[in-house]
Amino acid sequence: MSTEANAAAAATFTPVLKLADLPANTKKAVQVGARCILVCNNNDKLFAISNVCSHNEKPLERGRMGNGWIACPVHGARFDLATGAALNLPAKLPVATYEVRVSGDDIEVLV
Amino acid sequence: MSNTITLKELKEKGAARCPGAPSTQDIIAADKVAAPGWVRSESYRFLGDEDISTDRYIDPAFARLEMDTLWKKTWQFACREEHIPQVGDYHVYDIGHYSFIITRVAEDEIRAYYNACLHRGTKLRASGTEGNAEEFKCSFHGWSWNLDGSHKQTVCHWDFPHVDPKKFTLPQARVERIGGFVFINMDQNAPTLAEYLGPEAKAHIDAWNLQDRYVYLHVTKRLPCNWKLAIEAFQEAYHVIETHPQVAPSNGDANSQYDVYGEHVDRFISTLGVVSPHLYGQVSEQDILNQFTLGDSSALGDTKFTVKEGGTARAVMAEMFRGMFEKATNTDLSKVSDSELLDCFSYTVFPNTFLFPGISLPMVYRFRPDRNDHRKSLYEVLFLRPVPKDGKRPMPAEPIHLRDDQSFTEAEGMDPGFGAILDQDTDNVGLQQEGIEASAKRGLTLGNYQEIRIRHFEQAVERYVGMKKA
Repeated sequence: MSTEANAAAAATFTPVLKLADLPANTKKAVQVGARCILVCNNNDKLFAISNVCSHNEKPLERGRMGNGWIACPVHGARFDLATGAALNLPAKLPVATYEVRVSGDDIEVLV
Repeated sequence: MSNTITLKELKEKGAARCPGAPSTQDIIAADKVAAPGWVRSESYRFLGDEDISTDRYIDPAFARLEMDTLWKKTWQFACREEHIPQVGDYHVYDIGHYSFIITRVAEDEIRAYYNACLHRGTKLRASGTEGNAEEFKCSFHGWSWNLDGSHKQTVCHWDFPHVDPKKFTLPQARVERIGGFVFINMDQNAPTLAEYLGPEAKAHIDAWNLQDRYVYLHVTKRLPCNWKLAIEAFQEAYHVIETHPQVAPSNGDANSQYDVYGEHVDRFISTLGVVSPHLYGQVSEQDILNQFTLGDSSALGDTKFTVKEGGTARAVMAEMFRGMFEKATNTDLSKVSDSELLDCFSYTVFPNTFLFPGISLPMVYRFRPDRNDHRKSLYEVLFLRPVPKDGKRPMPAEPIHLRDDQSFTEAEGMDPGFGAILDQDTDNVGLQQEGIEASAKRGLTLGNYQEIRIRHFEQAVERYVGMKKA
C-alpha cells in the first residue's frame, strides 16, 4: 500500500464546530492536528479549505467570501471554495480542500 | 438648387411616424393601471440626416483617440454598490488599459483608485476581481496603502529617502452614485453626474429606485465588432421584424417611441403584448399572448394564458404578470403600471450603460472596447430583480463568461427565448463590422426617427473626440 493510500485510510471525520456557530456567509478557522482549516458557510453550503494562501502563505480567514470563492485579504488571490483552484493572480497553485459533513449538531471535516 | 433649409422643412424632418398605427402613448393610455409621468412623456428632437462616417468603427487611430479623450472624460458604470457592501470591499473595473480599484472606504464613501503601485507600477489587484482589503499591498515588493489611499509602507524605506509618503497617496478618479450604480470619471473637471445626466433623465432614474434591486444573473461575452456598433444594435426596435421575426407578433416595433435627453441620455419605449404594425391583420390576440417573449420568464413558471372574447392580450398579460412576478420575487407590485410590467424601456447613459427599468425586461447592459482589438468589444448583460420583501439582499450573481463561440442560451439561468434574441442581435454585428470594412460607401444612413438614438450617441462621440464643437 502506498503512503498516500495509508494516509487516506487513516483519514477520519473530526468534529470541528457546532453547526449553530457558523451562520450563513460566515467562516471560522479551526486547528486539526498540524493543519489550519477554514470552515466556510457560503450561501448555506459548507466548505473546508486550507487556511493558508498558496501565494504568500498568509491566512485566508479574514478574506471576503463571494459566491463560491474566497479572496486572500493580503494580495487579492481568489480560490474556488469547492475545488481549491486559484482563480486569479497572484496565486496560481490551488489550496487544499477537505470533505465536510454535518453529523447531528456538529460540522465534521475529513482529515 | 439651394442648400438652404427652410424652417418648414426643419419642422417636418423627423415628424413622420408609422402610418396607420397607434402611438406608444396611445397604447399606454388605454392600460388599466396608469403609467407614471416618466413613461407618459416625449422628448424627440431632429438632429440632422447626414451620414455617420464609418472610420470611427474601423480606424485604430480613432480608437486610440477615444481612449485618450472620450473614455477619460465620461461617467462610466463601474459596479453596483452591492458588489462592495462592506467597508474594505473592492471591485476592479477596467476600461481599455486603465484599471480602477473601486472600494468602500467608509460606510457611505466609495473611492476609485488607479490600480497601479506607485513604486514600479504593478497592478495592486488583478483585473476582474473582488475582495476585501484592510490595506492594498503590492504583491511585487510589498509597498502598501491604507484604505483611505494614504501610503502605509515603503519596504526598506532607508533606500528611498526621496519618497515622501505624503506625496505617494493613491491617485483617484471621481466617484458618484445613482440608483445603486457606482459611476466613475477620470476627469477632475467633468460636470457632476447630475449635470451630466440632466434634470429630466435624472428624475427618471431616481423614480425607478434601482437601488432596491440586486443582480440576479450576470453574463459576459466578447463581440466581433467595435463597441459602438454593439451599442447601436440595441438602440432601435427597427430591426425587430427582420432580425427577430419570432418577437414581432407581440411587439409594437415600428410604432415604438424614441426620445433624447440632453447630451448623454436617450431611450426608446417599445410596447409588448401588442402586434407589430408590420403584421396587422395577420395575428390574433391569442397569437400575441402565445408568442410573448420574456427576459425573465423563469418567474412565470409553466402557467398558460387565454384571451377572453373581446379582450386584449396586453390586458391579460398585465393582470397575470403582476400576480406572478409578485409571487416569484416576493415583492409588492400592486402600484406598478401595466406599462412598467410589460414594456421594454431601453435607456442609454453615454458611453457604456444601458438601463432597462421594466419588470419583465429588467436588464442592465454594459459595453466596453476590447483593450487589445478595436474591432471587438465586451458586452455584459445583468438581470436585476427586486430585493425580497424580507429585506435580505442576496449576493450579486457571479459573472458567467461565455466564450466567443458560445450561445447566450448556454448561460445557466438565462431564459432560452431571450438568449436566442441576444444571439440574433450579436450575430448581426459581426457581419456589420465586416461589411463596413468591405463597403464602397463610407457612411451609415440613419432613419430620422427610429434611429435617432444612434445619431444622438454618435454626436456625443464626435464632441468628445473633438470632431464636433461641444
